[in-house]
Amino acid sequence: MTWIQYLAPLLKGAQITIVISLASIALGGIIAFVAGIARISSNPILSGIAFTYIALFRGTPLLVQLFWFYYALPLIGISFDPITTGIMTLSLLTGAFGAEVVRGALLAVPPAQHEAARALNFSKSYTLWHISMPQAIIEMMPAFGNLAIQNLKDTALVSLISIADLTFQAQSLRNITLDSATVYTLTLLGYFIIALFLMFIMRFIEMKLRRGAAFPRDAHS
Amino acid sequence: MMYGYEWDTSSTLAFATSILPILGIGLIVTLKAAAVGYAIALVLGLVLALLRRSRVKAVSWAVACFTEFVRDTPLLVQLFFLYYVLPDFGIVLPAFMTGALALGLQYSAYTSEVYRGGINAIPRGQWEAATALNLTRLQLYRDIVIPQMIPRIVPSLGNYLVSMLKETPVLSVVTVLDMLGLANIIGERTFDYLVPLSMVGLIFLPLTLTCSALIHFIERILPKAGIPLR
Amino acid sequence: MHKTLCYGIAALALAVGMGGASALTLDEVKSAGYVQGATANEVPYGYMKEDGTAAGIGPDVAIAVFKRMGINEVNWTVTPFGTLIPGLKARRFAFAAAEQNISPERCKQVTFTEPNSSYGEGLLVKKGNPKKLTTYADIAKDPSLKVAVVSGANNIDFLRAVGVKDNQIIIIQANADALSTVQTRADAYAATELTVSKLAEGGKDVEQVKPFTDPVVNGKPVRNYGGFAFRPEDKDLYDAFNKALVEFRKTDDYKKILTSYGLSEESIKAAAAKNVADLCAGK
Repeated sequence: MTWIQYLAPLLKGAQITIVISLASIALGGIIAFVAGIARISSNPILSGIAFTYIALFRGTPLLVQLFWFYYALPLIGISFDPITTGIMTLSLLTGAFGAEVVRGALLAVPPAQHEAARALNFSKSYTLWHISMPQAIIEMMPAFGNLAIQNLKDTALVSLISIADLTFQAQSLRNITLDSATVYTLTLLGYFIIALFLMFIMRFIEMKLRRGAAFPRDAHS
Repeated sequence: MMYGYEWDTSSTLAFATSILPILGIGLIVTLKAAAVGYAIALVLGLVLALLRRSRVKAVSWAVACFTEFVRDTPLLVQLFFLYYVLPDFGIVLPAFMTGALALGLQYSAYTSEVYRGGINAIPRGQWEAATALNLTRLQLYRDIVIPQMIPRIVPSLGNYLVSMLKETPVLSVVTVLDMLGLANIIGERTFDYLVPLSMVGLIFLPLTLTCSALIHFIERILPKAGIPLR
Repeated sequence: MHKTLCYGIAALALAVGMGGASALTLDEVKSAGYVQGATANEVPYGYMKEDGTAAGIGPDVAIAVFKRMGINEVNWTVTPFGTLIPGLKARRFAFAAAEQNISPERCKQVTFTEPNSSYGEGLLVKKGNPKKLTTYADIAKDPSLKVAVVSGANNIDFLRAVGVKDNQIIIIQANADALSTVQTRADAYAATELTVSKLAEGGKDVEQVKPFTDPVVNGKPVRNYGGFAFRPEDKDLYDAFNKALVEFRKTDDYKKILTSYGLSEESIKAAAAKNVADLCAGK
């Protein structure tokens, strides 16, 4: 087989990688907001649960988490198919790291804003969504960008729970052709190209946000 | 059994306690791999950071591309590359060294960015003063730059150590018998993955927490102005 | 803020709500139209070809037997050998077709069909057999030697039984890694005779140890009997398959499949002479 023939199976794998990455980034983003907000909530139960979840997923290795959800959980009756397991674990991991970003950014909003909001009689919920969040989101974007790339790299591990992603296809190809150098170089290039696209998308989102929400229109115009 | 320790599957607690010594041996492998990998990352990262500052455009550009490439590609694939491709060129490293090298390589891309940030954070005035005082490059780096850089880069470098600890289980994929590798073997032989995998997770938790606490402690006791090297 | 939180958690809970099913019956499989099998990518017992279809002693026989049961489509999952039984228990597939040796420990976890094949052990070494190995016990004699073995395979038990130490054993994830491991990091690879002969055919710088003596464990030379594994609770499906398998074993097509992969007629007769109940009891 020439290296051109390697491209077809690798591309099939790349599709799966992209789907899993985008899905877990999106889901992870949602979880990040839920957990991050819960973490700074004044309700001790909510913030306790969030704290535990974040500490658990940030403090243990992803591979251990993947294997645990894939091999250990079924032994007590809860079993998902590989792709669901992969997306779920990655989302929970990205969500835990994202939650810390959300929390940090929300806490970094100047206290003066909170005081002004109280003075204007805004409810806590309104303050969160209409005052804190727009300012915080801009702060979060660079960190989210890094988390997105990290997520893409982490998807490679799902090949170890039988998901036919880019790395899995590379391994199969290598087993058949024994041409490790070419196969792995192509695979690394594949991930790099996907990473560049991901960075482009994240920067685009960041730009859009910068132009929009953070700068509320002048009240007098 | 493994390493001479029999496991006792009669009850969950008995199982958990009987595999503790086995996982302990795996923990030592994990720590060793992280230590060697981190040492490589610290040294290689510094080399890359300094090369990046080279005035030869080709060198600085090549290093920048290489660093970005390593940063944005998965550790697992880099590990497979080193493990399977190096022997094709006659370099057969034992699995452990290959793993530590892969960790060191991937993290050198991160540490080089930290070093760069640290170096760039030194005010311009100091560089100019050094030129005015006719200091050699060695004196400049040894007495001015590095002492001031250290407190600034310790937090980030520390975080990367913790991250690296959490990435060592990937090495189990190339036959390194770290905690996860042993847990998988125990799981396959006893058909019970729940206990071994949970134990590994439970060992990692205090491990990473202790490591983070240690780093915070070091951050606090470091003098803010810098550490003189002489 | 709390409302949003509640919606978020509810959505999450919904997403998590899948999993679990009840025992598989033949009718369920028939109405689904296909059955999900697993194999471990070990030539010739069960492996994936480049076009994505499965072949090998296990898959070929399984496909033929299912056809006789009226199920024409078999989908395959490739999974590391050591994860065949855990994966089966986790309901990721309905059966495993990797000709796993029917051992008493495995019988405690899954239900095996009547034996499908029988095979002995083998060793793969570098070309020229530089360490002059003829049996597993030779590895035990020299503590500096390293032998590779696939995770989850019985060979590790045989190696240990003849005195090979744990620090001499390298555990690899898949049979496919064996070639490069023997060429570089290990002195030998311990697997079944057929596996080794297929690897030796395909690889340069390696050869199968001949003559080879099967390791002697508990006073008898080791002989493996491979079968298909099903979940104990899928009794209906298992009974139907087992019956069809026993019928199929009497046909010429069956013999043709096995001999085409290199199994000898004596080994086929040996497999037919044993029954799974005895093997599970350790006889």
